[in-house]
Amino acid sequence: MSEQRASNDNAEAGTRIAGLVAEFPGPEALLAAAAKVRDAGYRHWDSHSPFPIHGMERAMGIRPTILPWLVLAAGGAGAAGALLLQWWTNAVDYPYLVSGKPLFSFPANIPIIFELMVLLSAFAAFGGVLALNLLPEYRHPVFSVKRFARATSDGFFISIAADDPRFDVDATRLLLESANAAAVEVCYAPAETPRFPALLKWTLAVVGLLALLPPLWIARQRQVPSDTPRLHIIQDMDFQPRYQSQGVGPFFADRRATRPPVPNAVEVGGLQTDAHFFRGQIDGQWATTLPIAVDRERMERGRERYNIYCAPCHGLAGEGDGMTHQRAVKRREPGWAQPRSLHVRNVREQPVGRLFHTITHGLNTMPGYAAQIPVADRWAIVLYVRALQRSQHAALDDVPAELRPGLLQEPSRP
Amino acid sequence: MKSNSSIELSPRQTTLEGLSPRIVPSLRIVGAAALAIGCALGLARQDGMQLFLRAYLTSYCYVIGLVLGSLLLVPLLHVSRAGWGVVVRRLAEILADHVPLMFILFLPIVLPLLWGNSSLYEWADRQAVEHDELLHHKAPYLNPAFFAIRALSYFAVWWLVARFFVDRSLEQDASGDPKLTVRMERASGPAILLLGLTVTFASFDWLMSLDPRWTSTIYGIYFYSGAVVAAVALWILAAMILQAGGWLKDVITVEHYHDLGKLLFACVVFWGYIAFSQYLLIWYANIPEETVWYRDRQTGPWLYVSLALVVGHLVMPFLGLLSREMKRNKAILGFWAAWLLVFHWIDVSWLTMPNLKREGFPVGPVELCLTASLVCFYLASVLRQAMDRPLAPVRDPRLAESLAFENF
Repeated sequence: MSEQRASNDNAEAGTRIAGLVAEFPGPEALLAAAAKVRDAGYRHWDSHSPFPIHGMERAMGIRPTILPWLVLAAGGAGAAGALLLQWWTNAVDYPYLVSGKPLFSFPANIPIIFELMVLLSAFAAFGGVLALNLLPEYRHPVFSVKRFARATSDGFFISIAADDPRFDVDATRLLLESANAAAVEVCYAPAETPRFPALLKWTLAVVGLLALLPPLWIARQRQVPSDTPRLHIIQDMDFQPRYQSQGVGPFFADRRATRPPVPNAVEVGGLQTDAHFFRGQIDGQWATTLPIAVDRERMERGRERYNIYCAPCHGLAGEGDGMTHQRAVKRREPGWAQPRSLHVRNVREQPVGRLFHTITHGLNTMPGYAAQIPVADRWAIVLYVRALQRSQHAALDDVPAELRPGLLQEPSRP
Repeated sequence: MKSNSSIELSPRQTTLEGLSPRIVPSLRIVGAAALAIGCALGLARQDGMQLFLRAYLTSYCYVIGLVLGSLLLVPLLHVSRAGWGVVVRRLAEILADHVPLMFILFLPIVLPLLWGNSSLYEWADRQAVEHDELLHHKAPYLNPAFFAIRALSYFAVWWLVARFFVDRSLEQDASGDPKLTVRMERASGPAILLLGLTVTFASFDWLMSLDPRWTSTIYGIYFYSGAVVAAVALWILAAMILQAGGWLKDVITVEHYHDLGKLLFACVVFWGYIAFSQYLLIWYANIPEETVWYRDRQTGPWLYVSLALVVGHLVMPFLGLLSREMKRNKAILGFWAAWLLVFHWIDVSWLTMPNLKREGFPVGPVELCLTASLVCFYLASVLRQAMDRPLAPVRDPRLAESLAFENF
């Protein structure tokens, strides 16, 4: 009888038997049936239920998954890869010294190590789940059984594949029926493995080839010299519809884009009539007197400003040996000229107006500091420089009378 | 939800009958003796008051960490509507409901301050504050009176949170009213927020102000994450010890231990994440007023303690708790729980001791005696409480779900 039913079921031409699908009335029955199928020694089979059933792994004899080990290995590879990448790029391939920090230092690498470990672990878990479940699958034969659709709502099924070594339509059907199956159906697959649609195949191939073009074009552009400006992909407001100062524009007869100031116009705060204070000159000559009051407060201010702006090159004592110079010497910077010592004769003999002028406009490689140091502060610096110079070339008369005897004593021999 | 009338836990399983009630006074006597030895050892030294108070603070913060960590676990179970955790929730409640005891034990820290003794906190020294611009600037916050007021408010919040959750839970033991569960779930979110804020500020006040010029905004969560690690570890051990004694035998299964193990693992990783976040920012910025705190912990004996924390508080338990099989193995899980209880103690003394004890062996007899003493007082209080209430929420509407819980 079963033979007849099998031949009846196989009425459709061009198909082969792919397996058997049995429906069970509930989770308990499915659990019991699964144990029976397991004990019968089947290997290529599965159970399907709308919700996970406790104990199904044991009933089906499924061994613990190797997925955790895959994830562990991928996580370890991610961590090691991140460490290796950072070490190689920072310490080997392109060593770049930043403020004397070490080229490679472990704590700085931990965030990337952590991120890459998590990323690869997640990829391994995601891909591993798909791969271990043989997904994605183009088409599965169980879907040829109509009632199987209920496996996601209220149906409980066991499917046994025809390629199982123990599969035999009649014997397997008997086994399932004896396990209290409510219904057993044969499921069919097309006799030939279904072909991947040719149109889809060609479309994917063409799209894939087209997708290669942009990177190829970019790679070519990077190698070939060109007269045209770079492609400006990120605009950042670099090109604005406006006229540059001193550019050409259509609005005025002289075609200048901006108007020149009215003759004799002076900007607010720009009326610098006091030549002594603003330019260090008196009647066209370098001033020899300071236009500011000389007191402790100005001197302290001058020292503070000097230590901030001047000392990096000229040194705290004005010897021309500041940190910038020391570093340049250490690094053997080509073409480095030592900053001037403020204690050489011609600097000492310069009038204060001339020193002020140098601070304002710079000299040789020294830049002007007009933009950074306000006028009054520049004079305070001049005052402090004078004090520095005097400290290095002091005469006995400069010392208060009551301190002189101590200076005149012979140093005691150690 | 099935009706819970069908679920009856036998009283033999859920009450601490059969345990001699004399264990509570004996624990208290041991605690008092250890306290006396600790006092004698500490005060006998030249800098006695300083060492004694610092050691006491270490022990105190260790024990209150267990209390506050457990206190967080209760609303955590409610806010996540955790079915699995119903059977073990009462244990967390019993471990947490000791705010009055902790308040009394706090007096040795706050009373000397109010009497003008500045051995514990530099900012309490008027002279030092006068001559230190930064301390002077912080004085409106860091002064003994405000310190005491703040502490009082923390204890008030903790006491209210504990009362709310424990009282509702015990009420449900009698009535079985499912509405109580809903009320506890609703309150759990705000309760967690309150706990987070108060514990953050408490750790700023009690621990971070030991270095009054140094600040770290992540400090509070660093302390609390470590405390929760220890609390989960204690929770696991409490369940195991009770089961070994014959209680809760059919109530807690390997499935519950598996979930407790996951929680322990998550807390360990979280602690490591926070600890490293604090370290990386300070290390990278390399600003002297910030790095000085780590300098104290990277010089002398504390370097080895720091390394031990990295390995023993993070790397080893991470690998040891990673696998499912290890979390489901009671012996292994119990080992890591005990291990982490020890390492949390090391973590707390790593927070308190380095700028006082710069040389020699980092752990001294004073700290050990005082910790033993406070732990005995705490355990006595825990046991006394455990004796007069069921060990599981016997009429929780989700008890059946929790008893039948299985991991997929």
